[in-house]
Amino acid sequence: MTDYILRRLLLMIPTLLGITIVVFAVMAAAPGGISAASLVDGQNLDPEAKREIEAYYNHIYGLDSPPAMQYLRWLNNVSPIGFEFDDNAEIKNFSFTKGSDLGKSFRYGRPVAELLSERVPITLLLNTISIPIIYIIAIAIGVYAATRRGSQFDVISGGVMLALWSIPTMLAGVLMIGFFSNVQYWHWFPTGGLSSSESGRLPFMPHWGSLRDVGVFLLSIANATCLSVWLSVQGSPKFRAIVIALIAIAAAIVMALALPESSQSFGWIILLPITLSLLTVPIALSDYAVLRIAYLGLFGLILGIAIAMHFTQGSFVKGFLFDRLWHLILPIICLSYGGFAALTKLTRTAVLENLMSDYARTARAKGLAEDDVIWRHVFRNSLLPLITVAASLLPSMLGGSVIVESIFSIEGMGKLAIEAVQTRDRELVLSITLLSGLLTLIGYLLSDILYAIADPRISYD
Amino acid sequence: MANQPRQPAANNTQKSQPLLKISNLKTWFNALNNNDADTVKAVDGIDLEINRGETFCLVGESGSGKSISALSIMGLLPKDVASHPDGEILFYPQVQQNPIDLLTVPEAQMRDIRGSQIAMIFQEPMNSLNPVFNIGEQIIEALLLHHPELSYEAARQKTIKALTDVQIPNPEQRIDNYPHQLSGGQRQRVMIAMAIACEPELLIADEPTTALDVTVQKEVLLLMQELQQRRNMGMLFITHDFGVVAEIGDKLAVMHKGKLVETGSVDAVLFNPQQPYTKKLIAALPHNLKQHKPPQPQLDTSDNNHLIQLKNLKVWFPINKGMLKQTVGHIKAVDDVDLEIPRGQILALVGESGCGKTTLGRSILRLIEPTSGQIIINDTDVTNLNRREFRPYRKTLQIIFQDPMSSLNPRLNIATTLTEPMAVHSIGDSQQQRLELAVELLEQVQLSPDYLWRYPHQFSGGQRQRIGIARALALNPDFIICDEITSALDVSVQAEILQLLLELRKQRGLTLLFITHNIGVVEYISDETAVMYQGKIVERGITDQICANPQHEYTQKLLSAVPRIAA
Amino acid sequence: MTDPMSENTQDSIDAATAPAPVTMDNTFAQRALHNTFKRWGARVGLLWIALLTIFAVFAPIIATSYPWLLSQKGVISSPLVQHLSVVDVTLLIAFVNACVLWFLPGSLRQKILIFITVISISFIASYILIKPPKLTIYEQYRLNEKAGNIDWVFSAPIPYSPQDYLRDYGDTGLEKPLQASNRSHWFGTEENGADVLSRMIHASRIALAIGFIATGIAMSIGVVIGGLMGFFSGKTDMIGMRIVEVFEAIPTLFLLLTFVAFFGRSLYLMMVIIGITGWTGYARYIRAEFLRLRQQDFVQAAIALGLPLRSILFRHMLPNGIAPVLVAASFGVASAILAEATLSFLGLGLVGEPSWGQMLNQAVRSSSFNWWMAAFPGGAIFLTVFAYNLIGEALRDAIDPYLNKS
Repeated sequence: MTDYILRRLLLMIPTLLGITIVVFAVMAAAPGGISAASLVDGQNLDPEAKREIEAYYNHIYGLDSPPAMQYLRWLNNVSPIGFEFDDNAEIKNFSFTKGSDLGKSFRYGRPVAELLSERVPITLLLNTISIPIIYIIAIAIGVYAATRRGSQFDVISGGVMLALWSIPTMLAGVLMIGFFSNVQYWHWFPTGGLSSSESGRLPFMPHWGSLRDVGVFLLSIANATCLSVWLSVQGSPKFRAIVIALIAIAAAIVMALALPESSQSFGWIILLPITLSLLTVPIALSDYAVLRIAYLGLFGLILGIAIAMHFTQGSFVKGFLFDRLWHLILPIICLSYGGFAALTKLTRTAVLENLMSDYARTARAKGLAEDDVIWRHVFRNSLLPLITVAASLLPSMLGGSVIVESIFSIEGMGKLAIEAVQTRDRELVLSITLLSGLLTLIGYLLSDILYAIADPRISYD
Repeated sequence: MANQPRQPAANNTQKSQPLLKISNLKTWFNALNNNDADTVKAVDGIDLEINRGETFCLVGESGSGKSISALSIMGLLPKDVASHPDGEILFYPQVQQNPIDLLTVPEAQMRDIRGSQIAMIFQEPMNSLNPVFNIGEQIIEALLLHHPELSYEAARQKTIKALTDVQIPNPEQRIDNYPHQLSGGQRQRVMIAMAIACEPELLIADEPTTALDVTVQKEVLLLMQELQQRRNMGMLFITHDFGVVAEIGDKLAVMHKGKLVETGSVDAVLFNPQQPYTKKLIAALPHNLKQHKPPQPQLDTSDNNHLIQLKNLKVWFPINKGMLKQTVGHIKAVDDVDLEIPRGQILALVGESGCGKTTLGRSILRLIEPTSGQIIINDTDVTNLNRREFRPYRKTLQIIFQDPMSSLNPRLNIATTLTEPMAVHSIGDSQQQRLELAVELLEQVQLSPDYLWRYPHQFSGGQRQRIGIARALALNPDFIICDEITSALDVSVQAEILQLLLELRKQRGLTLLFITHNIGVVEYISDETAVMYQGKIVERGITDQICANPQHEYTQKLLSAVPRIAA
Repeated sequence: MTDPMSENTQDSIDAATAPAPVTMDNTFAQRALHNTFKRWGARVGLLWIALLTIFAVFAPIIATSYPWLLSQKGVISSPLVQHLSVVDVTLLIAFVNACVLWFLPGSLRQKILIFITVISISFIASYILIKPPKLTIYEQYRLNEKAGNIDWVFSAPIPYSPQDYLRDYGDTGLEKPLQASNRSHWFGTEENGADVLSRMIHASRIALAIGFIATGIAMSIGVVIGGLMGFFSGKTDMIGMRIVEVFEAIPTLFLLLTFVAFFGRSLYLMMVIIGITGWTGYARYIRAEFLRLRQQDFVQAAIALGLPLRSILFRHMLPNGIAPVLVAASFGVASAILAEATLSFLGLGLVGEPSWGQMLNQAVRSSSFNWWMAAFPGGAIFLTVFAYNLIGEALRDAIDPYLNKS
């Protein structure tokens, strides 16, 4: 196993080289390419100053040397072992301890390493929150759909997931930020960023002005949640659907009335109840109890918070935690829905395949109940393709972060990447490439190791 | 074994006690569109009765409904597709006075019966065990399910005992092994251990030895027989192999198209079949075919008449390991083989799975490149010819494959399949002429000329195999390798194909290398036999002599393991 | 080497000599297509794509500021016809041609041949003959009409060209749908005052073209590289897989961004770029299929029969291995459309021409939320992507032998 990991780590080096060469070649081959002139271009300067700045850039970044030379110099700087240069750019000696240097960003004039250390944790935060959400939802729905192949639930969830998968992230992001963050409509969420400007001064935990407010808050949340959970397990589907529809319509009307004057129109009174009913009634009708409880419970929780917000009067201090959460909700939704839609399909296929397998039949022949067959025998085997996909999920989520971060103006790596390519910031582009490549490769390696742990048949000897 | 009189069951008084009584069982598969015409009547009214301590064999060709019957007993058919419009399956457990109708019993009670009172073993030992759990966990799971009073440790001890019962060596260590660490025969033993761990009264075995080699099959059959007699279990044994039936069965029922054709004691049905279908089936056994084998041409087996000569042929596959993937050893699939095949002979190459017989066959055609040694065809060494130089020899050497499903290109119609190689090798002057030749070929393999424009999916397995033969004949070869060509076919189809091959050999003077694991087929078709074991040919000689008087230890073991119908 | 078997003789066996098909499920492709379009999802998807194609082809007729017919001082003229461009005319001819061929008898090969000939001829002819005026002033017709210089006019259903910024109406930037009573902008106007619906109809051309051509490029690269890897395996395979890994380890969107940012914003370049960044999946599929097929008995039989490499690869292996690639391609079209939309949304898309993504970008300009700029172009992207995904999924279900089993 150690041998295998070492081998894989060594194999990463040529791949990373390849990645940076591809990206560097793209930059160098482009018309204009990486030259001081293209950096200065567009700034309104007189020719004299322009020349001066160009010369300056050429001096400190070596932009006038041939592309291959530039790449090799960059490589030498980045690699932890390599040549050391003296002040006259002459090779001094070969060193094993010189450490790696990612260089200085053209645009920011700051060390790239410093910029990355600010931006990368933010992107990783978004992704590490999204991935578990993606997996939980995908597994819950995928397994259920597979065990009821061809049923109404299977067909509808399949269609909904495909539709979700087809919604472009930017559309979802723009609609959400437009309706839920904009002052023209419901200004419930912040318009962007990861924390409010005053968050630095806030205590960590949220607190309320008076004890009464805390009581009201907890009480309304608990009441609404319990009520909807109770409803989700009670009575006939028809009863549930009617009650939920009534609640949804009431909530929708309140929402419509809560709009600012300028945006109020008759259309909302019709559109909102229909939308909210469509979002809740099919779930209430579904025969999948867990999904019903979770979904309607969440609905109740939101309703509870809304009611609580209405009745508490004292000052409410969000606290750093709450503030961060508040900022994260919309970006996380945007980042995860596409993932779980795709993964649900995959889970369904994997489970379906294993449900028909010979060993599942053996398990049934032993007298195991169907649920045990699914969760003990089939599920464990269906996990294997999901683990493989986890690796390819990472690069696509890093890509997704680019869109989400630019919509929600989150200062993460994705946004940095756009700025870097737009300003032709050589050092930054290469470093981001290197880093995202490295993250991806580590993701692949981790998933292979996990695979070996989950599947005793695989041994990397 | 085959010729020994069968031992009477341990307890004669119990033997007449009924254990399972099926009457008028019907299992239908409903079409999704509820159209009656599309309903498949997989089992269409069968009656049978199994007594305690008795082995009841259910025999039939593929698709006859025998496995579906077994799954109906176990209640393992998917409820949304399968239905039982009629019939009852009465099960008489020891502890209870009244029989239980397994078709109407509630699912919860059925689950209690499954695994504890009726257990089942399946055909594919490779896939029937869950690959991600070790074998101990899987047996213990069954034990704890039906005996919740057991502690985990006690269940583990019982599991070790069950593994000992099925003669797994070192059960204390083996219990923690994963299925992939065991051989096929051992996995089937584990399946048996799992089935008997809860001491069921009825054991259903669905072709449990079909996927195993003959020698392993013999051991597993002996084991099952011994367990069944010791525990006085009833056993429903499903198979397509009459040899196996003769070894293990007490009673026999022949199934055909969802119905039971003939039922009776094994001896009565095997040696005195009443129904025409049964008669036909038994007559098609290679063993019986032999009595009607047409006279075969005399052969010149002198040294200068060799069509194919192999000298020191080796096919080794490297094993790469470690950080730098260096070669640490070789799998010696074919190891130093010398073989001559005289013109016009049918040479059978016999061996168990993994012995290298298929690799040997393919390396003669250079579909797999030999590592070293020489292949001499018509006194020319062809081992080192390049693609282009070897092409003329492709005309003389042809191959027919095992799996009729995958041996034809599904996207091409039969006309293209047959005429393309002719065109490449300039046989026939025009497309029209080649089509005429193709029609002739179809007639030779006894297929209708209209089939020319059909696609492979429109044919049955036997028909496809005939097309495979026609394709091999298209180039007028001298030598054909038949790689297990009958093992995927039913007995009656197998008989037709074998007869066809003998006929063609006579007409065209073909030389055949007949690769198979089926000794019965070897005895019927071949002039000489070569026995292969672990990459080497251990014995070679006239077929009748080898069968009557095997010299090598392995050949003796192999021949004695073949299940036979005692005359 | 004698190799008299030319492609043509083979096809004459397949098509001409053969009697009429015995059953409708004759070849694999026919069965697969039949199974695919039995599903309502695929039908809905196909319907939307067909609708979009019609919009794309007839865009300059449906949405244009040029009146269809115009009578000015007794002289009847058609400004629309005068302003049709070479591409417009070629597309129209291609469309009519395709419709006619669809209903005519004949083999597929012949039809394709005729289609390509007609297109090339009509393109060259229109390139020589058609010279639309370079300078266009959209406002002149409306101003003339207002001034009463026109006897009668027959206008398009959406009487605005995509680049008609309605300067004669004053400031019309970002106007809500149907806000002003005197002009009917069904989907509102964008920031420069152009009609959103008109721009969307014209943008459907870009979406469709990008989807098909980019996927075509990606698929060709992928099939060639993957095929080589799968058939020759060994060293070729190892090197190929390294290249695939390199491309897969860079987030596609990031690679696209770099390409576009550095190479500029032309439509054709964008197609090539999306193609170059998206081939790895196809290469993997084809490689896996070829590795599997090489072990199949019928390929072994083809080798044993001494068939030439060309026949083994293209007649025996490729047709049997292409199915998963076609499924992937139909998802690929969706993701190519998404990629273009994303780039345009991020401000790296085409400059002059309308594009759905770029319109979506205007939805959240300057702190106000212009919902019509999000809902309509975004909805169009969604529907198109959804349509291709529906078709892709139906195709996969139809082809997957495992799911067909029960």
